[in-house]
Amino acid sequence: MAKATKTVYRQEFTQEELRSKDLREVEDALIDNKDALLESLSILNHMHERGILTLLNGLFGQGDKVLNILVKTADTPETSNTLKNLLLLTGVLGTLNVKQIEPLLLKVNSGVARVAEMNDTEEKTSYFSLVKALKDPEINRAITLLLSFLKGMGEKTEQKERQTEEFSVQRRDPGKSLG
Amino acid sequence: MNGVETEASDKSSVLQHLTASDLDIPHVCYHPSLGAIETCDTCIVSVNGELVRSCSTGLKNGDIIETASEEVRKAQVIGMDRILHNHELYCTVCDYNNGNCEVHNTVKEMKINHQSIPFEPKKPYEADRSHPYYRYDPDQCILCGRCVEACQDVQVTETLSIDWERERPRVIWDNDVPINESSCVSCGHCSTVCPCNAMMEKGMEGEAGYLTGIDRDTLRPMIEITKAVETGYGSILAISDMESAMRDERINKTKTVCTYCGVGCSFEIWTKGREILKVEPHAEAPANGISTCVKGKFGWEFVNSEERLTKPLIREGDAFREAEWDEAISLIARKFGEIKNTYGPDAFGFISSSKCTNEEAYLMQKLGRGIIGTNNIDNCSRYCQTPATLGLFRTVGHGGDSGGIKDIQNSDLVIGVGTNTSESHPVLATRIKRAHKLKGQKLIVADLRKHEMAERADLFVRPAPGSDLVWLSAVAKYIIDQGWADEEFIQNRVNGYGNYVESLAPFTLEFAEQETGISKEELIRIAEMIHDAKTVCVLWAMGVTQHSGGSDTSTAISNLMLITGNYGKPGAGTYPLRGHNNVQGASDFGSMPNRLPGYQHIEEERVRKNFEHGWGVKLPEKPGLNNHEMVEGMHSGTLKAMYLKGEDMGIVDSNINHVHSGFEKLDFFVVQDIFLSRTAQFADVVLPASPSLEKEGTFTNTERRIQRLYQVLEPLGESKPDWQIIQEVANAVGANWDYKHPSDIMEEAAQLTPLFAGVTYERLEGFKSLQWPVAEDGTDTPNLFMEEFPFPDGKAIVFPLQWTKPVHFGEEYDIHVNNGRLLEHFHEGNLTYKAKGITSKTPSVFLEVSPELAAERGLKNGTLVRLTSPYGNVKVKCHITDRVQGKEVYLPMNDNGDAAINLLTSSYADKDTDTPAYKETMAKMEILQSEGTDPLPSINHRNGNPQPQIGVNVQKKWARKDYIFPGDLVKKEMR
Repeated sequence: MAKATKTVYRQEFTQEELRSKDLREVEDALIDNKDALLESLSILNHMHERGILTLLNGLFGQGDKVLNILVKTADTPETSNTLKNLLLLTGVLGTLNVKQIEPLLLKVNSGVARVAEMNDTEEKTSYFSLVKALKDPEINRAITLLLSFLKGMGEKTEQKERQTEEFSVQRRDPGKSLG
Repeated sequence: MNGVETEASDKSSVLQHLTASDLDIPHVCYHPSLGAIETCDTCIVSVNGELVRSCSTGLKNGDIIETASEEVRKAQVIGMDRILHNHELYCTVCDYNNGNCEVHNTVKEMKINHQSIPFEPKKPYEADRSHPYYRYDPDQCILCGRCVEACQDVQVTETLSIDWERERPRVIWDNDVPINESSCVSCGHCSTVCPCNAMMEKGMEGEAGYLTGIDRDTLRPMIEITKAVETGYGSILAISDMESAMRDERINKTKTVCTYCGVGCSFEIWTKGREILKVEPHAEAPANGISTCVKGKFGWEFVNSEERLTKPLIREGDAFREAEWDEAISLIARKFGEIKNTYGPDAFGFISSSKCTNEEAYLMQKLGRGIIGTNNIDNCSRYCQTPATLGLFRTVGHGGDSGGIKDIQNSDLVIGVGTNTSESHPVLATRIKRAHKLKGQKLIVADLRKHEMAERADLFVRPAPGSDLVWLSAVAKYIIDQGWADEEFIQNRVNGYGNYVESLAPFTLEFAEQETGISKEELIRIAEMIHDAKTVCVLWAMGVTQHSGGSDTSTAISNLMLITGNYGKPGAGTYPLRGHNNVQGASDFGSMPNRLPGYQHIEEERVRKNFEHGWGVKLPEKPGLNNHEMVEGMHSGTLKAMYLKGEDMGIVDSNINHVHSGFEKLDFFVVQDIFLSRTAQFADVVLPASPSLEKEGTFTNTERRIQRLYQVLEPLGESKPDWQIIQEVANAVGANWDYKHPSDIMEEAAQLTPLFAGVTYERLEGFKSLQWPVAEDGTDTPNLFMEEFPFPDGKAIVFPLQWTKPVHFGEEYDIHVNNGRLLEHFHEGNLTYKAKGITSKTPSVFLEVSPELAAERGLKNGTLVRLTSPYGNVKVKCHITDRVQGKEVYLPMNDNGDAAINLLTSSYADKDTDTPAYKETMAKMEILQSEGTDPLPSINHRNGNPQPQIGVNVQKKWARKDYIFPGDLVKKEMR
């Protein structure tokens, strides 16, 4: 003999019951993740010591504002150029063959060392001393090296550039055509 | 191909062949489910020296194809450059950056680093954000036309087009109105097929990416930086690829099967926590492919509704209190025990749900039969499709669709009888609309209302209510009299022909014209169209079954298909369109009073022995009560306890005042639901269940197709999947079940049921599916009756019939109250009203009134009327439309208050199955308040203004002065 009803009495918990239920859940989570938590605590401790937490707190606390300032600052030709150059350079760095460059760099280093040792002098190098200097095996090796480097630099590298192949198709009506 | 000889099918395009040969040709507008659209010009290759679009070029023997030459590459790059002119690349801060953006991926594949035509915003257009569920951003739109193609030729709502004549073309809705004011039915096709972020689900906005939720003010400069910094797209794309990969960590994509009708659409749901970002259909989904309707695509808000039940409820007097599971289950066990001891097992009734899984239907009947010991078990197909099943059992032996949706799509002639297909089975309807629009399929519609399918039909007839059997029989008789019957088929495959022909004698054209109102000419035309078609499919639904003679009319349909030989071949047969996701499965898996799983008769000893052995119990022998009889049992005092799950019987059964007073007489009533439904309000214990998105299992769609659903979300609160709850109840009353997963249940069911012998979860993984019968080796049956009918001699039966006239309510009840579904709301609406966007466009029920009746009675849009039948009354506002005529009104069923249709319906029922005769409802009308607001707001799609065309009209793009085909441009340059 049940009449239809929409009345539902929700289970009411006292503040105390809710609190102990919540505490129980937290406790369970703590125990289940003991190792991870202890490790995280030690990381947090280090971060705290170095003031990183305070910094992050400011950053996250004002997240939108900070991001907005950051983005607006970044949105200038200089910054975008920097970023652009960085991206370009990163790309170029990837193409360098360090194995081949290493000996070259060592040689540049020792050249730089010599120059650093040398005092600024009034001494001038005459045409004859230049020719004479070619006989010096160290100088001769350096010149040969430079010559082959120059030859390499003269080679065509267009295809290797990180740019689109631009087609030289001439369009009667560029820009306005449809997609 | 590139100098190598290869073999190819002459049916495929160059692009299809190249892709199949693992040669990556760029393409953006081509979509496997849409075909060639020819707008993007990126798939250009050289065929016999000509530069052509590979998507639309067919293969011929001896063709010489070049894909790698410089001119090919140049032409493709021009195509892509033009796309990028229309689309700003800011992938990392774009919500569409999920690994499947085709603009992004094509730029990457083509190794394009810079564009020669810089991006230009499409001024003066603003993004259109008026629609509740998706937005259109013209600045991101690449004008590929996929959305238009999908809207015009897949969904065939014909709302979208591209206006190619403007300086900057864009997509427009109807004749250029805001999206929300158009004829858009919110099916979601456009946002599904959009290759980029132009047409995007709003659920994704600001949610999908890590950086996309940022304030607009901050986002814009960020996009500027991203663009300024680009050294070429390579590095930008690399960063966005990383970001996209990171998204996988927090966005889950889970396959599920839709629960909003019997079509069985499957798709992935993208979630972040409990938030649903979007529904993403896939081409490989067997029933729907890329298609969805508004409910499947956008109607899932209810899962997070605050009204969900999250704890068991126990009645105390006239209220419920929340309780713990243990207390609720032991209360049920104690009460069930007492009632069984006092009154015996047949004092129990069990109601299974057509929204729950096969496994749950199986367990419910196992609990009723095996543990309590009664066959009093039924499900809601009693309210809809049982007459169709009976009609098919009488004639062809299997109660299911003869074939699949593909067969309907490929049929020469589709006949819809009493089915409002485009609203009740929207995705299935799209296949007919498309075939009719593009492939020359013919369509006959017989219905009271001029709904969308009727508008599109080649022949639309409006038979008098309840007279379908008459015209079907008259057409059959005419066909036989003309000598057009398929004699060979009848000879070889049909029994009982002689008796049947005799039984048709009264159904002359004259008689039919007089009783149905369909003219002789129209009847002859129907017969001719059937005669002319090589294959015919008949689709029917509640307009046929919910009548006093529902089973007979279903039988008449099957008879007509038998005598014309329209069985046992692809593209033909009978299709009782199942209304719920698992109407088919609930009965398939034994939630019926007279049949065990797989339609095995409870009265057959051999069958019973098999189950008794399998379950280790003794089974009751005589068929139990159906749900109609259970209500009578409540009133007569023989039914004392009821366990009902997932069924709002107190709203959906007919004559609900009578049902409610029955509920009140029960000694103990357990209801399992996700909400405190109207039915649950009468319960003694309410158990909180989990909806489909929170559990695993299988559903069987109208094609007899079994599909798996995976768990998208965790059960909310303390709610549980139904199979777990049933198991707990069963174990509390002495069962000793130990099902760990729904697959354990399916394994057991398959062992006991020859129809499902080969069904396993492994064979149903992901988007895989099986259409029953499934042999032990896993071979399934897409088309029934190819070799024989499941009768002893393999022959079908034509079944003689007489016409049952519809119920007469008396002269004063002069209004015929037709009733049924709406596209956008599911049933009484307890799920879909929770979707704010749907409710904003369709806030309430309305009464469709014809202009004639409106003029006669002085009704206007918004007039509040009362309809009164001998069983009750409803109050509802009028909406005047010529979808209905004369004194026939239409009351959709989406209300559970004062306008609930079943306050009017009677307890009259189909004479053979007890399915309520919902469609035989008459009432009288009085005006309560003459002036009011139209219950159908102006932003409802029914007020839109569709603009039909075929596809995207790419020729108009090509005709533009500023358009030159990239191939021609390159050739000119090379010369």
